[in-house]
Parts: sequence; structure tokens; C-alpha cells
Amino acid sequence: MGVSARSTRSGKRRIAITVVLLFAIVALFVVRLVDIQVVRADTLSADSLGNRSVEQPIYGSRGDIVDANGVVLAGTVMRYNITLSPRNAVEFTRTTAAGDQTVTVAQAAAEVGAITGQTGDAILAIISSSLAANPASDYAMVTKAVDVSVFRAVDALEIPWIYFEKKPGRVYPDGAVAGNLVGFVSSEGEAQAGLEIGQDSCLASTDGTETYEKGADGVRLPQSTVTEKAAVDGGDVVTTIDSDLQWFVQQALAKQAQATGAAWGTVVVQEVKTGKLVAVADYPSVDPNNVNGTTNPDDRGSRAFTASFEPGSTFKALTAASVLDAGKATVNTQVVAPYRYLPGNGANINDSSGHADLHLTLTGVLIESSNTGMSKFGELLTDKQRYDYMTKFGLGTATEAGFPAEDSGILHPYDEWDPQTKYATMFGQGLTTTALQIASIYQTIANKGVRLPVQLVAGCRQADGTMTNVPAAAGTQVVSASAAHDTSDMLEMVYQKAWLSKVWNIPGYRVASKTGTAQMPDGHGGYTHGYLVSVSGFAPADDPEYVVSVSLADPVKLNSSAAPAPIFQEVMSQVLKKYRAVPSGAPAPALPGTW
Amino acid sequence: MSDNLARVLRPNWESAPRHDTPDQKPLDAPAGQPGSRLRHIEIVATRSQRRARPKIAFALSAVAGVAVIIVAQLLLSVGISQGAYEVSRLQASQTELSRTADSVTEDLVRVSSPQSLAANAEAIGMISNSNPVYLRLSDSAVLGAPSSATGSQAGAASLVPNALLTGVPLVTQPAQATGQGASVAGAATSPATTTAPTTSTAAVPAPGAGLPTPTTR
Repeated sequence: MGVSARSTRSGKRRIAITVVLLFAIVALFVVRLVDIQVVRADTLSADSLGNRSVEQPIYGSRGDIVDANGVVLAGTVMRYNITLSPRNAVEFTRTTAAGDQTVTVAQAAAEVGAITGQTGDAILAIISSSLAANPASDYAMVTKAVDVSVFRAVDALEIPWIYFEKKPGRVYPDGAVAGNLVGFVSSEGEAQAGLEIGQDSCLASTDGTETYEKGADGVRLPQSTVTEKAAVDGGDVVTTIDSDLQWFVQQALAKQAQATGAAWGTVVVQEVKTGKLVAVADYPSVDPNNVNGTTNPDDRGSRAFTASFEPGSTFKALTAASVLDAGKATVNTQVVAPYRYLPGNGANINDSSGHADLHLTLTGVLIESSNTGMSKFGELLTDKQRYDYMTKFGLGTATEAGFPAEDSGILHPYDEWDPQTKYATMFGQGLTTTALQIASIYQTIANKGVRLPVQLVAGCRQADGTMTNVPAAAGTQVVSASAAHDTSDMLEMVYQKAWLSKVWNIPGYRVASKTGTAQMPDGHGGYTHGYLVSVSGFAPADDPEYVVSVSLADPVKLNSSAAPAPIFQEVMSQVLKKYRAVPSGAPAPALPGTW
Repeated sequence: MSDNLARVLRPNWESAPRHDTPDQKPLDAPAGQPGSRLRHIEIVATRSQRRARPKIAFALSAVAGVAVIIVAQLLLSVGISQGAYEVSRLQASQTELSRTADSVTEDLVRVSSPQSLAANAEAIGMISNSNPVYLRLSDSAVLGAPSSATGSQAGAASLVPNALLTGVPLVTQPAQATGQGASVAGAATSPATTTAPTTSTAAVPAPGAGLPTPTTR
């Protein structure tokens, strides 16, 4: 019984000690709490200034625009804005290996200026002018968007009142190569032209923010990073362009356009069997790295997409294919082509130069490019039939390429055609097309009568590698395969026998091509004295792979289709060589042009 | 609970061997037990009593455990803070290195542009032949019509501007080549040796001399 009593006593003692200890600890906490929250509150919150959480933006990267082989045509790089705090711009002490030295504001400004390419005085002027505007000014821009080497050089100066801002910039490594297509962004990063704006929904990135705590020494506290919003990088736009070929084509076009004094020119290279555009050259063309270097705003885009014109005689291939497809004529159907043809409806058709009546086949009409002869074939079809063929060939609507501000061309409904237009539309006047639409007509003829959607963008490649927005590739049969084949045979005769046959000769290959010389509208319902001269064609004619369509506007020194023909020859040769097109074996079938 | 069992009772050492005091029996000892056994008997605690008894070892181990936890926690914090500085330093280093990588990639892409390649190729006398001719290996047939290169693009200044190349020297001109340019040139010639093994690449020809013509047998 005695032991039990002792045990009870010690239990009570323990409880008492525990309670006392508990109260002591709680009291200690209370004292500490009061100490922190009340007594030392001001000191601690002053200390905590350096402990505040830091929120900073995470930049999402705008997607690249790449060519068919992955060559970057437009990419995002990090650039830096150099800023300074005018009110803090005072002399400071710099510690170097040689010892401490005092650097005055003027010295520092001169040092920065030597790196950024400004004068020291210019930087001093920035400081003084912003101080004049606001004596407490804490922010002034020294220079914008410098690259890493400049940033590092200025950073190494360790000037305490110089600050840097990160600023994603856009760079176009290939310059004006495909600059007409890629477009450009403003200095603020806003898409302004070309695919940059047309594919902005794919390219655009979303910036995020992250918050973290940092210690007084600036070191990020472990585990404190909270990503409030993740940055989302933009997708890459994969184009169908080949940048090497695009350069060659632009170079060839620019050389001949300058030699002939052309106002502008375009070259379109399209794959026959896929509808993909492998090169779309414009002259003049913008260098997206230096947009202001191109003074005329009209030269900053792509006229191949945005300018429509009366195509002229290259259009006769469409009329011939339509007539053949409708079964109204064959390649050997004979007509008499006079210099002037006055059909009963009051129209007045004449050829470009005077001649006696010619006894031509349909092939011969194309070789001679006779307007009167083509009129006699075109009138075998009703206006509606021809209009339907034209719309099926893609006229009157913008192509599927999806280029911003693409022109649809003008194709009036057939019931609005006046007598002259009824005939003019047979040989490429009285309607307008873009260079793309003409290339598409030749693609259709080359591809056994199947027109494929014109492709400039192969899709939007997301970060995980999937391709979205892949365009439809299903074609439509516009004319029968035999009509397309016969048209191709006739165009080969044009290539062999037309007056430019020596100029555009490509040894070893069978080529189908046609020239065009069209008067250019003056914009007021009449015509100027200038001509839009063009050559369109495809090769190898026995198994067509590529369409090349060249247009030059108003080449004042050589106002005929002899001006674009050398470009066609050079570009087509390069295309055949580049893509290893096998040279043709059998010669082209000979078709009689006269009777 | 009664504690009488916990008391160790001394046996009667004097009487037990002699049995001269038969009336004096050890307490609680069974009557039939021989006296020699009684000498070694101890009364031990029951299991429940042993369990109830506080043990110093438990307290020590608990205190030691708390101490170990505190020390481990301290060491971990020290380690994490040390790691934070390490992470911070490495992140700064990574930032610097990725800046360098971006910068040299930019330079590379710029000198890989078609304008730069063409200017450099022409500077060492290369001429593009726009007339393609093929040799079919299966039957040794020559496809196409061979003709000498006329240099369709040769001599033409670049008509396709690239503002990024302003002030960038040709990598194929040794006189102007800086250290960086020379290294870029070395990188540019290596693919040529691998992709065109039939071409003599023993030496870069002097500008204007043209490339040596491979002999086809």
C-alpha cells in the first residue's frame, strides 16, 4: 500500500511540472510574439525589404518561320535595352586590379557610348534632358535592342546607374531571301506583314510570370519559386519554300529586272505534283532586318500574291485546254487567222503585229500567239462554259496559300461581259490574275488536268512536334488528262518553235512554255504604254515536276517577253538541277503548226 | 497492489542445514521444499510489474532521437542553403553560357545565309553551272547535254540584301579573316570534303584560279 501512494504522489508531481513547463513555453512564445510583432516590428519590416518576393516575367519565345528544310527564315533572339537612372548618375568608384579609381559621369558616358556607337555627349544629353523634364527621373533609355556582345561589354563596365531590360527581338538570318513572304514585325514585336501577320496565331507566344523569394544577398531562396503562369512558346511555321532556291530566283530576277529597267517583277516556282510553292520571288524585295531601307511601302510585300494584272497570252493555254476538254477541237484543228478579226457581236480583235492571213492549227495559234486565231477557237465554247473552266482553274478567288491581303483577281460574271470582253477573255485580257493563279493554271495542265491547292505553309509545328493547320491537299480534276496532255504537247511546240526558242533553251530537257505580253491598266479604265511581259511553263514535259512563272512589269529597256525569258531559262535550269530531274529521253512529239 | 512479494526474504541460513528448528519455516515456502533449494530463491517481479517500471534507456533513446533529428535538420538546412548558392551560381553560369550559345548560333546562321555562301564561293573562284548533266551508273549513259559553265551568277553583286551581313568579312579571304572567321571557314570546308569525295580538296585554290576539275574516267 505504501508504494502505491508514492506512485500517485509522483504522478501528481509530474503533471504539475508539465503544466508549469507548458505555461512557461507559452509565455515564452507570447513574449517572443510581442517582441517581434510590437517591440521590434519596425526594425524587422525594414530588414524584410530585402526579403520581399520578386515577380518577374518569363518570356515565351515567338515561333520561328522555317523553310522546307528547316532553315530559319525568321527567328527570335534575346536583345537588351540599355537604360539608366538619371537621378543616380553620379561619379562612382571602380575597383580594378590596379586599385580603386573614380569614374566621372562624363567618363562613364564616353565608355558606354564607345560600345553602343553613340557619343558620350549624346548619353550626357539623355541624362540632362530627362533630369530637366523630371528632377527625380529614375529611368531613361540609352539605346534599344543591343545584342549579347554589347550587353556584356556595357555590363562589364560595372556602372551602378546603368540597367538592362531583356527584350525578345526578331531576326531574319537570310535577309531579303523570302523577305517578301516572311514579312516583318515592328520594333515592339507586333506582326506587320507577310507570314508574320498571316500566321500570327501560330507564331504568337504567351508570356508568363514567376514569383520567388530572395535573400538580402539576392540569392533565390530554395523552394520558393512559384510559377504563377507558365510561358507558352509559339509554334513554328513550316513553309514549303526552299531558301537556297529562293535566293537564286530572287538574284536572277533582280539581275534581269535591273537590266531591263522593270518596275517590278515576280517569279513563282511550284511543284507540279504537290501544289507546293518552292520559291516565290519579288523584285523589289524587302530585307526584313532593314524595313526602312525599302522606301516604297508597296515593295515591302509580295506582289506575286497581292498584285493582279491582265495576264495576256500565257492565258491562251487555259483557253486551248478548255476547248480540247470540251471536245470542240483537236491539236490539229485548222483555222485561218487574219490580222484583224471582226466577229458578229461588234468586237474588234487584232494581232500584235500586222500579217497576212495565216493557215494555223490550234498548235500554230499558240506558237504564233495569234489573238484572232484563239478567238476563233474560244468562240466554239459558250461564255458560261469558258467562265466555268476559268473558275475551276482557280480564277476569281484567292488561292489556298492563305497569304495576307492576297488578291483574288478580277473575273466578271460571264453575263456581264461586253462584246469585246467576251473575246478578250480568250487571250488573257479583260480579266486579272495574280502570278500565283497563272502558275496554278500551268500546274493543272502539267498535272494531268488535276488542280492542286496552292501551298505556301505546310503547317504549324507545335512544341511537341505535332503539325497542326496542315492544309488540304486534295485536288480537283479541271480538264481531262488527255486534254491536259495535248495542251502540254502544244506548249512544247511553242517552246521549240516560238521566236524565243533560242533564248529559253534548256539542253537535255523537254520544256513546255508560253509567253505573254499584256497591256497594263492605268487604273482609270484605260491602258498605259507599258506592258506586263511574262513567261510561264513547266518541265520536264514528259513527266512534269516544276512550274516556273515569270512576270516583269514595264521593262522599259526591253518591252517584250524577251525580257523575262532569260529568267525563265535560268530559274528552270536551276530547279531541274537542284531537284535532280532526270533529263528527257525521247524527243517531243512533232505537231504541225500550219497547213 | 501488495508489495510484499517484492521483498526479498532472507532464508534462515543457520537453521536450514541442521533442521534443528523445524518450527521455523521460511515464509511462504512450500512445506515440502528441501532446505538446500530455499537458499537460492529470489522473488522476481511479475511481467506486468516489469512493464510498469520506468526505464532510463527509453528516455535516453528518445532524447537522443530528438537530438539526431535536430542535428539532421540543421545539417539539411545548411546543405539546402549551400545548395541554393550553388544553384544560383550555376544558374548564372547557365544563363551566361546560353547567351554565348545563342550569340554564336546567330553568327553561324548569318554566315550560312545564301548571300554569304554565294559571296564566299565566288571569292574563291567558284562558278555555278546552270546546265545540269547526269551520268547514269547503271548503263554509263550521259543524260543531258554537257556544256561548259558560263557562270550565270558569277560576278554579279548580291542583289538580295541582308542587313545582317553588313561589315561581316568574307570567311574565304584570309587577309581579312579574323580568328573567328578562320574557324568558321574551317567548319565550312569540312562538309565539302565529306560530301564530294571525288573533288580534290587538298588545298583551297587561290582566288581567281578556279576550282580544279575532277577527271572523270
